[in-house]
Amino acid sequence: MKIIIDNKACAGHARCNEVAPGLYELDDNGYISTAGFDVEVGQQALARRGARACPERVIHIVDEPANPPGNGLNKGQKQ
Amino acid sequence: MNTDSVTNAIPSNVPAHLVQDFDLWAALTAQGENAYAWAAKLHESMPPIFWVPSLGFLPGTWIPRRSKDLRRILQDPETFSSAGLTPYPMLLGESWRLAPLEVDPPVHAKYRALLNPLFTPKKVNALEEDIRQLATQLIDDIAQTGRCDFNEDFAKPFPTLIFLKLMGWPLADRPLFQHWTQTLIKSSDPQVVTDNAREITGWIRARIAECRANPGDDFTSYLLASQIDGRPLTDDEMLGINFLIFIGGLDTVTSTIGLFFRHLARNPEQQAQLRADPSLIPDAVEEMLRSYSIVNMRRTVTRDVQIGEATMKKGDIVLISTELANLDPEVFDQPEKVDFLRSAGHAPHMAFSYGVHRCVGSHLARRELRIALELWLTKVPPFRIATGTTPRFNAFGIFGMEELHLEWDVEETR
Ligand code: HEM
Ligand code: SF4
Repeated sequence: MKIIIDNKACAGHARCNEVAPGLYELDDNGYISTAGFDVEVGQQALARRGARACPERVIHIVDEPANPPGNGLNKGQKQ
Repeated sequence: MNTDSVTNAIPSNVPAHLVQDFDLWAALTAQGENAYAWAAKLHESMPPIFWVPSLGFLPGTWIPRRSKDLRRILQDPETFSSAGLTPYPMLLGESWRLAPLEVDPPVHAKYRALLNPLFTPKKVNALEEDIRQLATQLIDDIAQTGRCDFNEDFAKPFPTLIFLKLMGWPLADRPLFQHWTQTLIKSSDPQVVTDNAREITGWIRARIAECRANPGDDFTSYLLASQIDGRPLTDDEMLGINFLIFIGGLDTVTSTIGLFFRHLARNPEQQAQLRADPSLIPDAVEEMLRSYSIVNMRRTVTRDVQIGEATMKKGDIVLISTELANLDPEVFDQPEKVDFLRSAGHAPHMAFSYGVHRCVGSHLARRELRIALELWLTKVPPFRIATGTTPRFNAFGIFGMEELHLEWDVEETR
């Protein structure tokens, strides 16, 4: 599973970060700091909750087989 | 219908079946404690976008009720402009503007960039202790009295003190600011509003001059040291930003807390639910923000646009009713029901707006609300509406409780 964020349209509600703090990191202005990342197997439900919490609906989920944990493609990485 | 009257004439682009001849704010005020349940019913009786001939002293306006349409409007500031929608500079015959509120993109972002770093969730974390301490003092003063005038004793002083602290302005000026908040936002008398706007701008201008001569580490000094496009801010820009934080950050929190506490006073079982499990408080804050939204903004249409059945013409005004969006049955099942467990707080609501103007103070406001609930529920026994009093709701300007008196049983032995 992959998260794609249209970060230009982020309005800084920070709800994604509130609901799923370890996954959706904010920058120093309080806006989302990434354009997307791959989601580890155990974190999928959390990632979905964070995406659903976004009032602007700019967090999109792309369902695809998850990368196994520890392959260097995990949370917080810019795509 | 009087077609001679300029303000109340129905424009030719509005078809008769979309005209609904009632004043939303007056109707909500008349509904009192039933206002939000009544507003939820509008979703059953009104077209998706309707037109009212007047709203308070304001001219006719479109009212979209669906969350979906309101999101679309808020996310399209090019078509729906925020410019010039508050009366204050005009009342004073001056030309400054409330920035970033009344500024459209792309310039909006320049002002917003000055404010964003000051109001992030991280910055708010750093304020937590101050907020707790201010709330504790206010609550400790009344906990043993068994009764309070909720607005005067808590809902007004609490955000005012936090605001003054945040701005680095003298806490001793609290009564002055409380008075100004009331008269500026809640008064429908243009003369009163003008006189008060003049006093406030006078105070802020004096503060700006002082900080210029003698910079400190307060908000005004921060702005003085900031730049836009490589130049320092003008005095008018300084004034507009300071004035905006003042009107944006005080009465909104006062009004919201009042509605929250009326709800808890009227619903002892939900009060008990939060006392039994305080970890529900953040979700309860979200659910009550949804259920009791207080802000109605407006936008001006900049080019002809069609939304559903509504043909909007350049120059038309559109009301953005956060309460209607948040009571939309397409988004929330049984929207009139206040349920702290509703999707565990993860269904987004529009209380802080959407799009570029999203409330910059939203993280601070949420923290203030959460702390107020936490401390009240630990320090004050179960409270109810005080006997012999009637809560009074007002939906003019920013919706809120005009009168709210609470009482509770105090243990003798303490
Ligand atoms: C429960 C409390 C609050 C509510 C319901 C609220 C609501 C709102 C709403 C709906 C807007 C958007 C207006 C629009 O789209 O035209 C807004 C904007 C704003 N709010 Fe708040 N607000 C609250 C608290 C605060 C606080 C505590 C502060 C500051 C300390 C603040 C400062 C602002 C500012 C500066 C803007 C303008 C942002 C911009 O235009 O970019 N608000 N607020
Ligand atoms: S919830 Fe959406 S709008 Fe808000 S910070 Fe996260 S991505 Fe941005």
